[in-house]
Amino acid sequence: MTYRIGFDVGGTFTDFTMINEQTGAVSFFKVSSTPHDPSVAIEQGLAALIEDYKLDPKSISHLGHGTTVATNLVIERKGARTGVITTKGFRDVLEIGRQTRPHLYNYAIHRPTPLVPRERRLEVTERVLSDGTVLEPLNHAEVEAAARELAEQKVGAVVICFLHSYRRPDHEREAREIVRCILPNAYISISSDVLPEFREFERLSTTVLNAYMGPRMGTYLERLLERVRNLGITAETDTVHSNGGLMSVSTVREVPVRTCVSGPAAGVIGAAEIGRVAGFENLVTFDVGGTSTDVSVIVKGKALFASNRLVADYPVKTPMVDIHVIGAGGGSIAEIDDAGALKVGPRSAGADPGPVAYQRGGEQPTITDANIVLGRLDQKALLDGRLPIDAAAAREVIERKIAKPLGISVEEAAHGILRIAAANMNRAIQSVSTEKGYDVREFALIAFGGAGPLHAGDLARESGIRTIIAPREPGTLCARGILLSDITMDFVRSELSIASPEAWRIACVTLEDMKKQAVAWLDREGVPQEDRELRITIDARFDGQNYEVPVPIERIDAQGLDAFLKTFRARHFQEYGYDIEDRDAEIVNCRIQAVGKIRKRAEAYAPDLSKDPLKGERRVYFGKDLGWIDTNVYARGRLALGAELGGPAIIEEMSSTTIVHPGQKVRLDTEGNLIITLTDKAGAKQ
Amino acid sequence: MTAMTEREAGSGAPAMFDPIAMEVFSNRLLTITEEMGNTLVRASFSPNIKERKDCSVALFDYRGRLISQAAHIPMHLGSLAGGVETLLKEYKLEDIAEGDAFMCNDAYLAGGTHAPDITIVTPIFCDGKLRFFAANIGHHSDVGGSTPGSVSPTARTVFDEGLRIPLVKVVSKGDILKDILNLVAHNSREPMDRIVDLKVQIAANERGKRLMLDLVAQEGLESIERSVEDILGYTERRLRGRIADVGDGSGTFTTWLDDDGLGGDAVPIQATVTIKGDRLTVDFEGSGRQARGGYNMPASAMNASVYYVVKTMLDPDLIANDGMFRAIEIKTPPGTITNPDFPAAVGMRSATAQPVCGAIIGAFSALLPEERLLAASNDAMPAIVVSGKSRRRAGAYVYVETIGGGAGARYNEDGVDGTHVHITNSSNLPAEALENEYPLLVEEYSLVPDSGGPGKYRGGMGIARQIRALDDETFVYASTERTKIAAEGVLGGGDGGLGHIIRNRGQASEREMPSNQPGQPIRAGESMRLETPGAGGFGPPEQRSAEAIARDLVGGKVSAAAVERDYGAAKLAEAQKLLAS
Repeated sequence: MTYRIGFDVGGTFTDFTMINEQTGAVSFFKVSSTPHDPSVAIEQGLAALIEDYKLDPKSISHLGHGTTVATNLVIERKGARTGVITTKGFRDVLEIGRQTRPHLYNYAIHRPTPLVPRERRLEVTERVLSDGTVLEPLNHAEVEAAARELAEQKVGAVVICFLHSYRRPDHEREAREIVRCILPNAYISISSDVLPEFREFERLSTTVLNAYMGPRMGTYLERLLERVRNLGITAETDTVHSNGGLMSVSTVREVPVRTCVSGPAAGVIGAAEIGRVAGFENLVTFDVGGTSTDVSVIVKGKALFASNRLVADYPVKTPMVDIHVIGAGGGSIAEIDDAGALKVGPRSAGADPGPVAYQRGGEQPTITDANIVLGRLDQKALLDGRLPIDAAAAREVIERKIAKPLGISVEEAAHGILRIAAANMNRAIQSVSTEKGYDVREFALIAFGGAGPLHAGDLARESGIRTIIAPREPGTLCARGILLSDITMDFVRSELSIASPEAWRIACVTLEDMKKQAVAWLDREGVPQEDRELRITIDARFDGQNYEVPVPIERIDAQGLDAFLKTFRARHFQEYGYDIEDRDAEIVNCRIQAVGKIRKRAEAYAPDLSKDPLKGERRVYFGKDLGWIDTNVYARGRLALGAELGGPAIIEEMSSTTIVHPGQKVRLDTEGNLIITLTDKAGAKQ
Repeated sequence: MTAMTEREAGSGAPAMFDPIAMEVFSNRLLTITEEMGNTLVRASFSPNIKERKDCSVALFDYRGRLISQAAHIPMHLGSLAGGVETLLKEYKLEDIAEGDAFMCNDAYLAGGTHAPDITIVTPIFCDGKLRFFAANIGHHSDVGGSTPGSVSPTARTVFDEGLRIPLVKVVSKGDILKDILNLVAHNSREPMDRIVDLKVQIAANERGKRLMLDLVAQEGLESIERSVEDILGYTERRLRGRIADVGDGSGTFTTWLDDDGLGGDAVPIQATVTIKGDRLTVDFEGSGRQARGGYNMPASAMNASVYYVVKTMLDPDLIANDGMFRAIEIKTPPGTITNPDFPAAVGMRSATAQPVCGAIIGAFSALLPEERLLAASNDAMPAIVVSGKSRRRAGAYVYVETIGGGAGARYNEDGVDGTHVHITNSSNLPAEALENEYPLLVEEYSLVPDSGGPGKYRGGMGIARQIRALDDETFVYASTERTKIAAEGVLGGGDGGLGHIIRNRGQASEREMPSNQPGQPIRAGESMRLETPGAGGFGPPEQRSAEAIARDLVGGKVSAAAVERDYGAAKLAEAQKLLAS
């Protein structure tokens, strides 16, 4: 027998998923995270899996991991002391950014302090023009002086970012050699390596984050590898990066900035695959955690990608799964404001102190407390009994802080909190999808995270969505997604020329060159020939626009200009709804994604039919009209494949609780997913 | 399974106000306006709407009360009301038909903000009765007139500023009136862009109409109308509460425009903020007479500026609707720059809106506790416009950019360096994007040392942007305010640095230029440098910590000479000692 294991390190728990490559059986497992050194929890979890399943460590053929280490280094400001060397006249680009403010009306909210202060941002004489010609050569003496200055300031990492280096990287490379001589132990990132794309602020910011994370990320990976080796495991440990693919430890060392949304990206990739197998190609992912909710859109089986997002308020520009974070989760606080309105979030009790019912010092009523009061969550314990619940405390706090002041009953207050939460969440998913031009009512909702399936029923009603998918053990889906990911790496280069035959010829040369780079990377990652794939796209726009449309290209073809232009116009029309006949197209960026397909055993699911699936019954509140209803509670693992139930029903498993509302129906499909359908007008808004 | 309902004794009589229903409804309304906004931004063509998001969308009830707005820039706060009010004034309800839509832009005829901002208003009928309006406004980059872009400080009247559109029907019973659309489009230098974007504006309202009708179908009109009253009442009650908390009193503050666009004396903008009970009045008595150039403020721009400041100073998270407006009274003396007589030009109103906001913020200083004060920001709308022959395509290019400056210091932190403030928040154009598009070279983009006003907390620094022409026959226009009168500090804080416009800096022909000058030709190798104003400091400089001074010194944000002048030799020595250790 051989096994593949995926694990995802979260703030509270580290989740594990293991697949038996011969039988397809999948196991789920959770341990508490160890934030001081996340590799400790990983070792504990792996050791427990080895012991519980009596594994030979050598039978583990592959490990994949999702990590927030890189992002946490930025959030906690624990990265390396970093210096920047840049083109004369541009040291403040990092500080001015795009000159905008993040909140229009609140001057207490502003851009984050740059990770590199002004005294460590040094300028040198050099200048390359937009066409790649050299206006002024690099002044080596000034680079040397800058490096010595940074050495004196005791930096552990150096960023080199010059204007137009995406076009001509020579100056950055020359400067790197000089810096390396003077600072042999520093972690050096040059912008033309990390992101050879135009728009200097985003390129610089991305490179700064990379260098800032670099040294400590390296230390973490070393510790992790050592712990894995100590367990006798010989398999490689890959890491999920922000585009939902896997990459090797050596690549992560070079570009740690690409792991910024590691775990959540794996969740979306997993959701897309689970949806595809279940027969749903268009999905909204709904990953509800303790403090926030991640939402993304999957169209025709593919996750949507973004090229830009904020990581701890700093812009990062690498290809990533387009995940939007909503500030609403189980820990979101409900409160009455000074003019008598009931607000839910954005303040959160988070994991610590958490909801009142968790008895860890929380004093504010939260969404989770409302779920407990209404009987939607078990009123005694969660997580298979590991998390005790004080339902009376939850009820008391909602009564005192919400119900009494508003003059309504406790259940009305708790139900109001959930209605407002659903309206908040709906507003966010509508905004994410309409921004891209999609109507969520034509999508299925795939709900995961600990609280996804708990809120999906309310959200679907609010948004007009007709189908909900709750995969097995929704609370560990990100770890499961890692088992469904391929090895990938993205390469990009800016071209910026009107799409003439000559420009097309040059673009083809660029792409051929990038292809060599991509193949060399696949070689290094050890991907067999037959598992390789190269996905080529060109970002293009109409001349005069400042936003681009990705145009997929089947192969690099010197004769392919006309076909490219045709596809571009079609894509532009699809994306924006019009074509401009007399306007030239411009080739902006060439992109290649190198893919190494991981051979995956299809998952198999066999429920435990030895016991009655009906665990018991409890009273659950379903709104003013229906009131309290005695509702059956089922153990998910004991439901037979194909089983169908009518709502109301509650289905529990280790990491999550699924609510089937009155008027909704649920079926367990052959893969073990719960498929909920909203059948009648009971689905209408309340 | 048995269903049972439970009603607790004493759960309260049905109150008029249902906070849960209101909050749910409020989210549903915002979902609609956000979707309208997304439709508008996603489908539009011109960079102004698509990238700078210089547009806003809103929903009104049949009485013309704003019930929800997604304002992408504060300049549009409440400014769609003009179009709806004009429609209600000039058309009888029975003359407005299902499937109609209306268009307007004029500041004097239809409550517009300035000519490039075109408003589309679409009535929404339920069961044959007019119940709501969907409206949106978009900044079109050109609507004709004597200057490309239709905005100029030297415009004398609105007739210089392009096409005047009174309220006209643009869609009749579902059919777009092509003749009208063509008339508007061909009064612009870019007719294709106008047609695309106007159609997109019409479509965005249609989207809002459909979503609103869906909501009516789900909730019922009666319930919606109750929630509308709840939400307007709530907003008004909340703001009045915040106003009353401030306590009765009055404050007056004056800021200055360098001139009125055509040279001459500085123009005062004076605001008096008075609070009496839960009522707030802003009076602009004492402001300068109306400008000869394009700096005049139409009513909608005045309203937006006042609403922006009230929200900023009293309640940043307050939702914008009619309830907010009810608590505020605005007085603008006729014939002044704050209330010009027809046909005074208004194109540059956003450059005046900045000091208007500054004056109101200054007036609030006399009323608010220390921790809510804001020292004066750069309060300008510094801009560079460069045009010349394009290397990339036939014809000319026009590069336009507004540049940020310092933001005022607060009670517990330095002001933000190099940022947009007040009614605008548009992004810069990256140097690499600029150089790929235009035959120009960015020589410097940096913070201006010593431009942050001294104080316990330092004012934000201005930005220097220096651009060199690579081709002959290049025309440059650069402008900023505060080249004569600096941003004031608060509670003893010092003034921010002045703005500067410098031609050919570092060359033999270096020369400082006045703040408002016509565009001028420059040759290849010549440059224009704009240094935007810094902001005022907060609290007495002697209270600034040596650590903060040392941090600024080592980063070069302040010079040793300026520290000695502003903070004293002893403080300088202390800071230098810290740096040496």
